[in-house]
Amino acid sequence: MAEINLNCKGLQCPGPIMQVFKASKEANSGDILNVKVTDRGFAKDIAAWCKKTGNKLLELNETETEINAKIQIK
Amino acid sequence: MKSEKVLIIGGVAAGTKTAAKLKRENPTLDVTIITRDEYISYAGCGLPYYVGGVIEEKKELVVKTPEDFKLITGVDVLTKHEAIDIDRKNKIVKVKVLTTGEIKDFQYNKLVFATGASPFIPPIKGSHLKGVFPLRKVEDAIAIRELVDSDKVKNAVVIGGGFIGLETAENLFEKDINVTLIELAPHILPGFDEEIALYAQNYMKEKGINILTSEKAIAIKGEDKIEKVITDKREVDADLVVMSVGVRPNVELAKNMGVEIGETGAIKVNGNMETNIPDVYAVGDCAESINLITGKPAWYPMGSTANKMGRVAGININQNGEKDSLKGVLGTTVVKLFGLNAAKTGLSEMAAKKEGYNVISVLVPGNDKAHYYPGYRMIITKLIADKDSHRVLGAQVIGEGVVDKPIDIIATAITLGAKVEDLEKLDLAYAPPFSMAMSTTIVAANVLVNKLKNKIETISPVELKDRIDQVVVLDVRDEASNMISSIPGAVNIYSEELDMRVHELDKDKETVLVCKVGKNAYLSYIKLKEMGFKNLKVLEGGMTVYPYETV
Repeated sequence: MAEINLNCKGLQCPGPIMQVFKASKEANSGDILNVKVTDRGFAKDIAAWCKKTGNKLLELNETETEINAKIQIK
Repeated sequence: MKSEKVLIIGGVAAGTKTAAKLKRENPTLDVTIITRDEYISYAGCGLPYYVGGVIEEKKELVVKTPEDFKLITGVDVLTKHEAIDIDRKNKIVKVKVLTTGEIKDFQYNKLVFATGASPFIPPIKGSHLKGVFPLRKVEDAIAIRELVDSDKVKNAVVIGGGFIGLETAENLFEKDINVTLIELAPHILPGFDEEIALYAQNYMKEKGINILTSEKAIAIKGEDKIEKVITDKREVDADLVVMSVGVRPNVELAKNMGVEIGETGAIKVNGNMETNIPDVYAVGDCAESINLITGKPAWYPMGSTANKMGRVAGININQNGEKDSLKGVLGTTVVKLFGLNAAKTGLSEMAAKKEGYNVISVLVPGNDKAHYYPGYRMIITKLIADKDSHRVLGAQVIGEGVVDKPIDIIATAITLGAKVEDLEKLDLAYAPPFSMAMSTTIVAANVLVNKLKNKIETISPVELKDRIDQVVVLDVRDEASNMISSIPGAVNIYSEELDMRVHELDKDKETVLVCKVGKNAYLSYIKLKEMGFKNLKVLEGGMTVYPYETV
């Protein structure tokens, strides 16, 4: 089980969700994705994406400047 | 020479401003404010924040007490004094002292109406019940907060989706109260265009406010205390009702003495704040303004306008030969709702159409700071112009980022008669923590100029919703983005795969290109035009702005 760090800060369009999608395809089941993002829309997007794809959103933290998400790949 | 007596009726923003300016201009004048209220010079716009406890103490709301005001300005202030009649010929105001019932006569040489506006309470059954409040005066805010702090309020209903209603809804919600807001119109934020208002509405719903639009409150039910608000569609539990359906100018007294009332229902004044009666002036919420764009009478009961009117009246009444005037206003406003900011200046698209302009507009999302600078936020600019003259007619800016700066830039530009092309070339301050290199205002102007030059055809979210069955919606975002939410019925081809998959599309069909904010859709638009597509449009603002149902 690997842990993959993904720095998507500064990414807007196509957004960080596309990077997460790509990484999830390459990852193995059970891998953990740590994603750092500055695009505010990401919080809502990642929650919706995980729900639709069945990947597990373990953590979602929002600060004034950054959003951090921890996702376990299905 | 005996000093002239100036009598001012009303002592909130415009009344106190007029008085203070007058005394500064000419300390020998005898200036008196009479008001039926207990408080003067209070921050009416701050009342919702007192209800929510953001403003902790009452004294913070009251800018000046009558004693302080007298000390600083030399103006006499008589509170709980209600003007009840005016003898125009002899220049005498009859005043009732509310604490004693005594009637007194006040002589004047100059008279100023600063009588403000009062909340309109719709004539619905039960609106007089205990637990139903307007929110206009300090007393209202105190009463609402007392009830809220007693922990007896589980459910609150706010009637009216204007600024005060929305701010009150937010403040009650922050007190852990279930809040339902009822609005008669199809959306909240009257005066804003539909897509901007719906953006705010969706945002507030997500935060947890229950918003019911196109719905009419018809009665408030309860005996000792209120229990329910009955609408034309349902019953809503309520322990507290705040009525915030708008205000009406207080003009009765002026009307009775023969002062002319304008077509807006407020007192008609010229730019010098003079009424039709010599030596009688009107300022603030009871007085009419001119809309700077249309040149027509307009009524903007706003603290910002009231203060300007007061200053102008102060200079003119002094009569040392100096004249000042207020040519008009744009109705510039701004509001904060939770973390969302919304601002507006000039005419909305809807108002501009009603005025007969050949309207053209765009919706352009952007960032308030450089996208690589931590803490930037998205803001959406709606820019409205006249297709024939290219003159900027109005703007609305909404988002979690800084909106007051762009709206003030555009308000300034409109005041100086700017065209869209002037906005494009403004030399605005730039460094990453403050702006994008091309600020949101400039980018919006760029898009509008492209549209004016027919380089791009766009469709607004409102128009797309109406015509969704007649067009092909082509979503050019990546698969993951499309999966999260998309317009019902949309075809998804990622912009980078367009070359390969173009055969799946019909070149003759009207096709609306959709992406996240509009930029990739524009790039795809250029590409597909080259490939021979005849009827293409870009969805303005992309999915970011689209406020309707998605799947």
